[in-house]
Amino acid sequence: VKAFSLFAVILFAPLVSPAQDIKEFEKKVTEFSLANGMHFILVERHEAPVVSFHTYVNAGSADDPSGLTGIAHMFEHMAFKGTESIGTRNWPEEKKALEGIEVAYDRLDAERNKGARANEQRVQTLDAELHTAIDRAQNLVEPNEYTRIIEENGGVGLNADTGVDATEYFYSLPSNRIELWFLLESQRFLHPVFREFYKERDVVLEENRMRVESSPQGKLVQNFLATAFEAQPYRNPPGGWPSDIVNLRLADAQAFYNKYYVPANIAIAIVGDVDPTAAKRMAERYFGALPNRPLPPLLHTTEPAQDGPKSVVVESPSQPLAIVGYKRPDQYDKDDPVYDILSLVLSSGRTGLMYEDLVRDKRIALAAEAADTFPDGRYPNLFLFFLVPASGHTVEENEKALDAVLERLKSTKLDEETLARVKTKARATVIHRLDSNSSLANLLTTYYGNYGDWRKLFTSLDELNKVTADDVQRVARACFVEQSRTVAYTVQPKQAQPATGERQ
Amino acid sequence: MKRASLLFSLAALLLRGGYAQTAQSAASQAPQNPPAVAPRNATSPAVRTGSAAPAVPSYKDLKYPALKPISIPNVETFTLSNGMKVFLLEDHELPVVSGTALVRTGNLFDPADKVGLASITGMAMRTGGTKGKTGDELDRQLEDVAASVETEIGETSGSVSFSALKENTDEVLGVFRDVLTQPEFRQDKIDLAKTELRGSIARRNDEAHGISQREFANIVYGKDTPYGWDIEYATVDRITRDDLINFYQRYFFPANILLGVTGDFNTAEMKTKLEQLFGGWKAQQPPVPAFPAVRSAAQPGSFLAVKTDVTQTFFVLGHQGGVFRDKDYPALEVMADILGGGFHSRLFQRVRTRMGNAYEISAVWGANYDHPGLFEIEGSTKSPSTVDTIKAIREEVERIRSAEVTDAELQTAKDSALNSLVFAYDTRVKTLRRMLTYEYFGYPKDFIQVYQKGLAAVTKQDVLRVAKKYLNPANFTLVAVGNPQDFGQQLEALGGPVSTIDLTIPSPTAETAKRDSSSLAGGKQLLQRVQQAVGGAEKLAAVKDYTEVADFQIEPAAGGFRTKQTDIWISPTYFRQENELPVGKVVAYSDGKTGWIATPQGQAPLGGAQLKQVQGALFRSYFRLLLSDQIPGRTVNLLEPDTLEISDGGEVARLVVNPQTGLPDRIMYDSVAVSGPAISVVNQYGDFREVDGVKVPHKIEIMQGGRKFADVTVSDYKFNAGIKAEDLNKRP
Repeated sequence: VKAFSLFAVILFAPLVSPAQDIKEFEKKVTEFSLANGMHFILVERHEAPVVSFHTYVNAGSADDPSGLTGIAHMFEHMAFKGTESIGTRNWPEEKKALEGIEVAYDRLDAERNKGARANEQRVQTLDAELHTAIDRAQNLVEPNEYTRIIEENGGVGLNADTGVDATEYFYSLPSNRIELWFLLESQRFLHPVFREFYKERDVVLEENRMRVESSPQGKLVQNFLATAFEAQPYRNPPGGWPSDIVNLRLADAQAFYNKYYVPANIAIAIVGDVDPTAAKRMAERYFGALPNRPLPPLLHTTEPAQDGPKSVVVESPSQPLAIVGYKRPDQYDKDDPVYDILSLVLSSGRTGLMYEDLVRDKRIALAAEAADTFPDGRYPNLFLFFLVPASGHTVEENEKALDAVLERLKSTKLDEETLARVKTKARATVIHRLDSNSSLANLLTTYYGNYGDWRKLFTSLDELNKVTADDVQRVARACFVEQSRTVAYTVQPKQAQPATGERQ
Repeated sequence: MKRASLLFSLAALLLRGGYAQTAQSAASQAPQNPPAVAPRNATSPAVRTGSAAPAVPSYKDLKYPALKPISIPNVETFTLSNGMKVFLLEDHELPVVSGTALVRTGNLFDPADKVGLASITGMAMRTGGTKGKTGDELDRQLEDVAASVETEIGETSGSVSFSALKENTDEVLGVFRDVLTQPEFRQDKIDLAKTELRGSIARRNDEAHGISQREFANIVYGKDTPYGWDIEYATVDRITRDDLINFYQRYFFPANILLGVTGDFNTAEMKTKLEQLFGGWKAQQPPVPAFPAVRSAAQPGSFLAVKTDVTQTFFVLGHQGGVFRDKDYPALEVMADILGGGFHSRLFQRVRTRMGNAYEISAVWGANYDHPGLFEIEGSTKSPSTVDTIKAIREEVERIRSAEVTDAELQTAKDSALNSLVFAYDTRVKTLRRMLTYEYFGYPKDFIQVYQKGLAAVTKQDVLRVAKKYLNPANFTLVAVGNPQDFGQQLEALGGPVSTIDLTIPSPTAETAKRDSSSLAGGKQLLQRVQQAVGGAEKLAAVKDYTEVADFQIEPAAGGFRTKQTDIWISPTYFRQENELPVGKVVAYSDGKTGWIATPQGQAPLGGAQLKQVQGALFRSYFRLLLSDQIPGRTVNLLEPDTLEISDGGEVARLVVNPQTGLPDRIMYDSVAVSGPAISVVNQYGDFREVDGVKVPHKIEIMQGGRKFADVTVSDYKFNAGIKAEDLNKRP
């Protein structure tokens, strides 16, 4: 199961059973697949004239080809650039200009690829030609028209998200404009135009500078993942490595799109004031033209067994932070619900064991949280702990306290009261998220995309209810072992601290 | 003033890429009848090739049915016998009940010497438990039934809220009542809240974006009013349980509270229940005064906060904004939206799409209900494009102030705002919350309709008029947080002065010991004994400059290397230090007020902790410290028979005297750190040798935070070489 939002305020828990939840809920759901394999889940909620859309593509940064990390994210940015009819001032001319860029870029690459034998003078000339070609095409662009249409029609929450296992596109509209969404969403996948590719590549590099290079947490996570995984692509940052990003080409994005954006690999949820009959008609009309293509391959690179504990130290002038991870199986493992229970026992609300021990009682941490799945769940991944030491307390102290908490879970059986409490909370958390159209659309496509059935959202609660104290102890003993641990933490940079005036 | 918050959460660990930093959001207001979209004048017709023409219409040809009318539910309003105003709104979609008591208070009422009081009160009010139950007991009780009761005090309001399953409503309402009316503020949870606040103070300079936001607000609102204050170690340390109880009693009384409840209940029954629960609560207080007014504290110019561990510059540019009820607010919203509101805005197109210089770029006409918000243009760009990006932004501000926007721009901005207003009314919780907010700030119930009408009426002339009237580039404050060594062009290229922001986190003011005439006399006597022991006050005063060459051996735990250090000092406060570090030569200079530092990576103004460190060193300069009784503004106080406390109101140091020889034995002081609390430092003196008739230590052992940091061996001392101040200021 996907990680719950762990610090969310719990709103309520229905006392009905999950089976009843589904029965009640199913009345509002209409579900169908098009002939090309694209899947739709519609939920009627007519309380207000608004509707939320969520497109879930089963492809993420873990599918980035080697040497082309960041391409899944780059394509996501391109999906906002319009189509052959949206975003252009003159498509035939622009098409030529875009081809001109690629020709110029091919020539530049050809010279650069000579390596040591490349002629620097010629590289510069070709680079200048490339930039001229880019400017020529830029002048034929009607900038940001695609997003502007959505905004002026009252669209809110417009964004996309490239994750490790999946890429998602979403926004909400007043419900009388449903057809606009069908038109725009289908066109961006039917007739995408990767215009302004190389300028957008600069934007993506800025994004990386902001999220990773200029953030102590960002740097820490990047180092953590690259240390914890040796072979499996979870080791790569979801946004890609900057040296890969800066060399991405339009043809790479096109190839990624051709391979992964096939209709059967895409699920869509529409939740809100929607008429299912009309929506189904529009789905066929607008998305039916997408050609049926074979599903992309699954990842075959398997992480080798870990031979011993690993750690990585990141120099940062910021206050200390630490991440601890233990290898765990994928989300299809029979023990998956036990990991969910474990993370709820360890950190949820003010009664989580880590909060009680490290934050409340010992006061050595400002935050101490657990996540059962990191960075994503389709392949074997990590059970994660995030530690933020309080002032005057160290990473080591926090690690030790965490070890003691984990040791307690391994040596003593969990009391039934705690087990019951976290089961109640788990259900409350899920049900609470059904409350908003956009969150519901997100959940339904996520569960469909990961498990092939949105009902798993409810049936997974049944599985949680079956977890026993013995299961918790057994899995804790198997998972939290030194051999499969990776630790990443920050330390102050090593330099003469008192560069000036520290003594007199 | 901003609320201290912890920015750390697991969610932030997922470094997912997105298309925009935060999902684009629309105005949080709502229409009754959103106008249909007027057909757009296509500025440039799209040309389609025959073969690629899709068998679907153009978006321009789509026809939309009228939007279903939104039924705005009736909110039942009444006042309890004790004066508490109540708003009830039934909502039977789900079997839950939730509510909020909105309290007229806020951290704007924090006393200047106890900033953080409101925040701690808001935290400990719930965690510290009630008369009958500890906070931990409440945690269990509530989480067992997946319910919550939470308290919080922000800038201009406080709240106590609850949520419960329908069948637990009575139990949870009971806890809600107890937390609201009889919080116990147990000491352990006050301490916990203080730990959290201290942690957030220590971490406030870790993320560049947070620094830019905080410093911009502090500068633009100014330090004269609480809007520009920060929570500091010293202000947190002074807060006691009595302060919390007094703060609570002053603001938490029935007539000062608006209670809103929504969910699956029957209004008549809920009315009775609330009267039963709260009717007996009769606390009374005089009416709460208005919040302090914002003062105009314009500080035009550029402000630089140096942060070396980033590859981008995070900037905020702007000045004070306005309030929602300004007649011109709708036009200002439209203007700011065209300038930097969404994906269609001018700044997004220019800085992000065309220049490729930013991922995040936006402009917001910030407004509040009761006091001016902030007009902010903010974003981040790679260090070398800092100046180019800000120049481009300034050009766009000039452009929107000097010519009318296009018809298409106006239409897009108005349509975006008007068509999305429906989302402000799409749940009953939002409706109730808006109603409470309007009541709290004294706004008319139909304010949203007034706003909607205002939006619909905005013209191109209005946009130009408000841009000219309200945007004042000459008055802009720029705050840039980044690494100037990588800027290429420095901020000076933007014109105007550049000031360095001091990010030093003040350590708790070293509370000086009690002093009276006899302890001061004793202090003077002991210091004069020291002067005598090292060679006499005249000999000390005769030293007008010195050059000291020393060998610095850093402990292995702190880096474990050697460095040669040369200090040059000219009376009274000129100072230059050269270090030969493994990474290369580092030179720093200060005249006591400003200075610079030069490293192999480049040069930068001396600011923040470094400047404070140098100023501290100048205060403790051997020849000055030992003559403190002759320097105006300094006090020399005897603490113990052989311990002196020397202070000048800001700096404080303790000097321990060797009782046998009368020579200085060690000095002790707190040194500021770049982030986090101050480090306590002890310099232990040894190997005194005479130079020109003055005994000076040639061995110094430095302890930091109770651990040995370095051994210093002086190899050479020269006095009165006649060095000139301008020689010290020579850059390498």
